[in-house]
Amino acid sequence: MEKVKLCCAKCGFTIEEYTADELATVPRKAKRYKYLLNKSSICPSCLASGRLKESRSTGEAVAAPAPQVGAKSSTTAPVAHEEHAAAATPMMDALAKGPWPSHTAELKKTRYPVQMYEEALQKRTTQWGYGGYVSLPGVATGVLVRASARPEITKGSNFVRIMDPCGNFFKADAMRGLCDIADKYAYGLLHLLSTGGDLEMLGIPTENLKPAVEEITKLGFDVGSTGDDYRTSEECIGPAKCDLTLYDTLGFRYAWYQRFLDDVQYPRFPHKIKCKFAGCPNDCVRGGQKADIFVCGVFRDLPKIDQAKVASWVKGGGDITLICTRCPGGSLQWDAKKGLSIDGDSCMRCMYCINKISGMRPGDDRGVAILVGGKMRGKYGPMLAKVLVPFIKAVPPDYKEVFDFIERLTEVYDEHARKKERLGDFLLRIGINEFFQLVGVEPSPLLFAQPRTNLFYHWEPSEIRDERQK
Amino acid sequence: MPGIGVPTLEASLPPIVKRNYGKWITHEHVRPGVIKHDSETGEACYTVRVGMPPNARVSTGTVRMFCDLSDEFSEGYFRITQRNSIEFVGVPPARIDELIAVLAKAGYPVGGTNRSLHNTTCCTGYLHCHLAASDPAAIMKSLSDMLIEDYKTERFPAKLKISGSGCINNCGEGSCADIGIVAIHRDLPPIHEEKLKGCELPLVISVCPTGAIKPKGPNMIEIDPKRCIHCPACSVACAAMAPIGSANGDGVAIVVGGKAANTGDGPAMAKVVVPYLPNNPPRWPEVTDVVKKIIDAWVAGARKDERVGEWINRIGWPKFYQRTGLPLSFKVMDGYDARALELAKTGVRFQW
Repeated sequence: MEKVKLCCAKCGFTIEEYTADELATVPRKAKRYKYLLNKSSICPSCLASGRLKESRSTGEAVAAPAPQVGAKSSTTAPVAHEEHAAAATPMMDALAKGPWPSHTAELKKTRYPVQMYEEALQKRTTQWGYGGYVSLPGVATGVLVRASARPEITKGSNFVRIMDPCGNFFKADAMRGLCDIADKYAYGLLHLLSTGGDLEMLGIPTENLKPAVEEITKLGFDVGSTGDDYRTSEECIGPAKCDLTLYDTLGFRYAWYQRFLDDVQYPRFPHKIKCKFAGCPNDCVRGGQKADIFVCGVFRDLPKIDQAKVASWVKGGGDITLICTRCPGGSLQWDAKKGLSIDGDSCMRCMYCINKISGMRPGDDRGVAILVGGKMRGKYGPMLAKVLVPFIKAVPPDYKEVFDFIERLTEVYDEHARKKERLGDFLLRIGINEFFQLVGVEPSPLLFAQPRTNLFYHWEPSEIRDERQK
Repeated sequence: MPGIGVPTLEASLPPIVKRNYGKWITHEHVRPGVIKHDSETGEACYTVRVGMPPNARVSTGTVRMFCDLSDEFSEGYFRITQRNSIEFVGVPPARIDELIAVLAKAGYPVGGTNRSLHNTTCCTGYLHCHLAASDPAAIMKSLSDMLIEDYKTERFPAKLKISGSGCINNCGEGSCADIGIVAIHRDLPPIHEEKLKGCELPLVISVCPTGAIKPKGPNMIEIDPKRCIHCPACSVACAAMAPIGSANGDGVAIVVGGKAANTGDGPAMAKVVVPYLPNNPPRWPEVTDVVKKIIDAWVAGARKDERVGEWINRIGWPKFYQRTGLPLSFKVMDGYDARALELAKTGVRFQW
């Protein structure tokens, strides 16, 4: 059977391996193969960057895999770390003072090369060199290499990204296991958590990357979240510890991983896609600002009022006048005799009164809204996410309707976006109305802030017909 | 080997959460750093929130300390919040004081709930990044030191979130926060000709948002210095154009008014108020000074439940600059595309 290998053009290190059958029959693998072939990659073995080389061989399918970096050291004792000479660190010492817990004090407890940080502070420029995401055989995502611009201090520092469990609850025993791995293979330094929601383990020598990943997966954690794929999704605490959530965000995220794990671990999109799931419009995950695809719990009926509870809250010193003034729609009215009333026309379902007043609950007609295109940077700077679907029912356990829609919209993105173009930039380029049509959503007044003012608009000849009879 | 996905809910949730999953009815801020959730089963859950070192970088020794504490106080589980605080969930009410005392002895503050300073977040900066134009972790340490009493008390009009990013890639989410520190480059990216071979030139040219990079012959590119906006897009796409930045070129910008919640004036990105401040390690006094001015003016002028952005929306930008005393330059309404015109004022409804 014919085998197709993608190797580093310089050192011949095998990055990924397929059989010809797979490429012909599995669309995901074919897409991934095309993606890897058309991009410049960094070789984890020799750190050279450039296009990969394709090599085909007609060996037997059961042939033993080629010896790989990491395989030889997996049975031996951990590779020794570089020893870092203890030199004076006046800048870091200055940062170790003060009442707040200090990161420099933490760094000094580990094997992190503190001179890299110290000299960066002294010289006011970073001392790290170019880095990027790499794939190891069997580990397509989750591993990053970072070269050093100061090889005399340290040669470089690789790290792995570990996907956090739903709800970000960590069992002490599992966390101790991760600490053991960090002590054995890495600097003994953890990042709890990165802003993207991953747990990062810093400073793993290249030859130890594979055994470290193997041990992490043995603990029940998985690595991922690098490259042009779905990044680690984040969810708010939801039903685990919040009384306001409108759908089961933790269950939703778990189901999302069940369905999309392939796309999380095998990069093939034009650029990264970040998904965030918020239980209610309070948006504790900041998905409206950060996420390419933001799923937010919403309700359509009015907030529920327990008049007796509200009255006792007011009696107990609750500032009802403040809440009524600060209500963004001006929809709340308080009358000592009649109680609290809501004007249904102006209520925005923003959650403010529900957050503040004891005795108010979200309505019962619950679902999720899907917003797209939020990002912190990309080509054209920070952008808020835009509403694509105002309401869709989220039905456990597999949330088929929502996930089918997400898949449809990522296929449109995959098909039409340019390389390294975030979803928000793509929307800006092709226009959001074009995107609405490509994805196939119904026009709705909930999709725009206001209609446009100019009348220039492109009509297709096919749209021009006699419409008087309608 | 990878391919197993995230742990199941059954494996990762603590018992008190499993018993009351989806059954919570109210919550209450008992005291700064302590939140009480009531369940319809009649059970109450006390959560203690702890501040973390900037950038949430902790040694395994410290993590093990948190593991030991959670074994003793919260049934062997702890949680990490969206803003990287540690939460002990399900602490027996009688032992909260004891836990807070133990944490205080280890140097960890309890607070960051409701109307207080929330835990700061930032990116790795100089610690581990080749693009960093500044070190947000050190800046956050200086700011947290300055504002630690505001973390432990609830004296603010509303919650205050401070974030810092080491470059305009904004991994540290500066533009999300009420007050954001976003580091910027001011130098042109270098072109190391010998490394250009490994780069995809069409990609490098197309990632530039202003079209400042142009081909020069078949294997070379040139940069139009008039159009470059010093974003590190090309430095990310191509090793030959990194590192961007220099000691005197790099610095930080201050942005204010970011917010995610749909309450009040709704979600907003933060706006630039100070376009450049120099890097001055280890404590960045210029930055802490500006942040203090903004916070003081906000605390003095804001109504209850008004986040920084909402306060500015009410009083207007002229009053903001007047109350904070920040210097003004046209750079704050400069733009590199057609949207710059949208920043200009229409109508004459001035708030003199």
